[in-house]
Amino acid sequence: MTDENLLLDLCDYIVKKGKEFGATAIEAQATSISELDAQIELAQVSGVNRKMVDEISIRLYVGSKMGSAFLTSPTKEAAEDAIKMAMAAAKVTTEDPDWTDIPHPATYRDIPELWNESVESSDPSEIVKTTNELITNSIQALEGLIPAFGGSGATSYHSAYCNSNGVSVSERETIAYAFLGAVAQTRSGMTPMVMSYDIRRDLNLNLEGIIDEAASLLKFCKSQVEGKSGKYTVVMSPHAYSQLMNFTLIQSLRGDNVARGKSRIGDRIGESIASDVINIYDDGTHPKGLFTSKADDEGVPRQKTPLIENGILRSFLWDTYWANKMGVKSTGNARRNKRQGLVEISPTTIVVEYGKRSISNILSEIEFGYYVRNVQGAHSSNPESGDFSVVGNPAILIQNGEMMGSIPGLMVAGNIFNLLKNVREVAREQSFLMGLIGPDIVFDDIDIIVK
Amino acid sequence: MLEILEKAIEVGQSLGAQYVELRGESGFNEYIQMDDFRVNALTQRVEQGVAVRVLADGAWGFVTTSDLSSLDEAVKNATSMARAAAVSRREPIQLTDVAPVEDVVDLPIARDPRYVPIEEKMGYLTETTKFIKSYDVRITAVTVKIMTASGHKYLMTSEGTRIQSRIMLVWVYPWVTGKDGTRLSAARYEDASTHQGWEFLEKIATPEEIGKQVAERVRLQLEGVPAKAGSFPCVLGPRVIGVLAHEALGHLAEADLTVNSAFNGKLGEVVAAEGVNMTDDGTIAGNLGTAPYDDEGVPTSRVEIIKDSVLTELMTNREYAAKMGLRPTGNARAESYLYVPIIRMRNTFFEKGDHTPEEIFEGIDFGYYCADFRGGQAQMNASFQVGIQEAYEIVNGEIARPVTDLSISGIATDSLFKIDAISKEDFPWELGRCGKGQNAFVASGGPHVRFSKGGITFGGKH
Repeated sequence: MTDENLLLDLCDYIVKKGKEFGATAIEAQATSISELDAQIELAQVSGVNRKMVDEISIRLYVGSKMGSAFLTSPTKEAAEDAIKMAMAAAKVTTEDPDWTDIPHPATYRDIPELWNESVESSDPSEIVKTTNELITNSIQALEGLIPAFGGSGATSYHSAYCNSNGVSVSERETIAYAFLGAVAQTRSGMTPMVMSYDIRRDLNLNLEGIIDEAASLLKFCKSQVEGKSGKYTVVMSPHAYSQLMNFTLIQSLRGDNVARGKSRIGDRIGESIASDVINIYDDGTHPKGLFTSKADDEGVPRQKTPLIENGILRSFLWDTYWANKMGVKSTGNARRNKRQGLVEISPTTIVVEYGKRSISNILSEIEFGYYVRNVQGAHSSNPESGDFSVVGNPAILIQNGEMMGSIPGLMVAGNIFNLLKNVREVAREQSFLMGLIGPDIVFDDIDIIVK
Repeated sequence: MLEILEKAIEVGQSLGAQYVELRGESGFNEYIQMDDFRVNALTQRVEQGVAVRVLADGAWGFVTTSDLSSLDEAVKNATSMARAAAVSRREPIQLTDVAPVEDVVDLPIARDPRYVPIEEKMGYLTETTKFIKSYDVRITAVTVKIMTASGHKYLMTSEGTRIQSRIMLVWVYPWVTGKDGTRLSAARYEDASTHQGWEFLEKIATPEEIGKQVAERVRLQLEGVPAKAGSFPCVLGPRVIGVLAHEALGHLAEADLTVNSAFNGKLGEVVAAEGVNMTDDGTIAGNLGTAPYDDEGVPTSRVEIIKDSVLTELMTNREYAAKMGLRPTGNARAESYLYVPIIRMRNTFFEKGDHTPEEIFEGIDFGYYCADFRGGQAQMNASFQVGIQEAYEIVNGEIARPVTDLSISGIATDSLFKIDAISKEDFPWELGRCGKGQNAFVASGGPHVRFSKGGITFGGKH
């Protein structure tokens, strides 16, 4: 594993060498990843996997022409070859009249507790022990529960970024996780697979919480009931609406889509686009966020960006290129696909602010409605129009305040912007998911289609 | 590469591993993205690496590394990790026996994308963008992506398999936005080859062909009417019935998923209406999912998943073939040296029936014709969902107005019994990618297929 100081030295070398080779602006980003995980198959640990890779990305400009390169060998020799490749690419590509600059030095906020030594030093037997505990305890949690899929793992990242404007930043972080995909036999076949997980910076994983969540959902999935088509109240878990938002709302909040006329809300800053109980922000500094870090993938400090306040659209998300073009400041939301050399605007952790009442109180007042834990097919939504049409799976019928049982094949259709207007209430309890922190949300008048 | 791998195999054997498998890769990869004529990414890279997989004491250990000088260490680590996992197992993992293979597989490539000048690639992207922008004044934004790969992969096992194969990929993907007043919509298209070089983009997936496919779909989106909600009789065209074969049935017939799905225990049972046949075939010459061997060195084959309405075969790898007493079908695939090979589809399709295309639409007073999709997803309870980006109403047996975005769904174990007509015409393949934790290039298809009311649910509006 290459530590962040060595990576910083390498990035610095690449920047210096790139300038020597004729680049007018250059940046290098390097990450060293060590992953160890054990996976579950057929209710047993099937094996242990180890991935140790270095990934180094170079983006440079000759005038306003851009070229990039990628390498996996953290050596000066390999880096020089990659710079030459990026230079060759920049020479044949097109001029970009909108490109002005790469980021300048800034002050970074120190974010504690991103690193935990015990995660980096985890060994295979510890990971197997955790995974085996997940299997054994989940089988005992509910009769007929099959831990079909899942596992646990420990990952550490060391990273560095340098550019020719003098930006130089390095950091390290760890992530430990456990997840369970559970099914159970029903009279007519099988339940949907229910996924639950916990992700932390240290090894104190809440296995009991993972198992409880899966088992309590499977209990409802084992009994199937009939639903009704029409417009109904729907309670969506953050697992469900985070997927819908990712493929619709978040795409409309990306500054590049705003600039290119691909966002339906690109001209609506300061206007109401959601129910006034909705508050959403992007927080790259949240202590419990999985994408929390000092800097984004262009070395710009992470920040908290209000997106929707009391239903009013406040801001979009920006990286450096699109912020410069549109005359605004980067919000620290650049994410780099190193192998592709593609820098894109991406959210960090989307936080949906919680409400006042507990979900059990809210559910107890619903005479007829549905609880949608997860959705199938959110990725087939139309990000430009905001239209979605998905299967709620599992979807559970709520009648007279009680969860009754699951409805196979229940569909939920609509448009994300109408959905946001139809929010009646936001619950109190938060879930901490990958990329989203938020509570259950109650929507009114949602199109439900049952078989 | 082969000599390095050979030496590392010996290390694993000396440690007492049951099975040692090394998959080496070396090659050129490239990604270019153009957004409205602006080059947003242009990355070429030369990458090599090795996947080490060891079966020891009945469990797997897997290490991936791009450092070829530390392969011995990687094999030692994989072996000790397998032993750490084995401690917890109730019974050991076993592999079905296969004959070792020694082979060198080449492809007759006319133009290796590695040696095509970047200027020419930029020209392809520019021409595609120009064509799309000029197709309809309402088209406002165009993104075109291309990806190419050219290299070699090497499979070496402790059982004596030694296979050297060519890696080849050319892939194009446009995403296009259109605006008409306040109405905003988008469509995408995808085309790829794993058996031809740059000539595929010059002669088949040309800027005009790709441009026309995607731009026309945006036009239809802007002019379409919303779909109704509920269940209707419908006809699914080749691209949609293909993805339904893949999502609704294919995944449930991957043996590692079958065991936890609604298809579990149904081998030998009638699972579909009369006349339904569905196949996954990794041997169709030149198709996207075709290869002579899988990533465990097993020859690929034709897997008759549903034959004469009966669930007949499952797709397997060596582990699940042994576990379930089935034949190894050559469906173990890994995206690259960074991944473990798992059971994946190749070319999945509904077989042709005996109706004429005209007969398929006859008798439908009101229904929908679904011609193209945007994504799909399956679940273990046989619930499937397919996003539809091109559809039309059917009125009195005729194709009528275009319909805007919607999705269709159903429970595969029910829907298959609602198939009441299958067309007998040849069909084009839909070429794309499947994600099951890692990407695989797959083809899918089938003739026009009609479902009676109750088979497919339309997620439209009330």
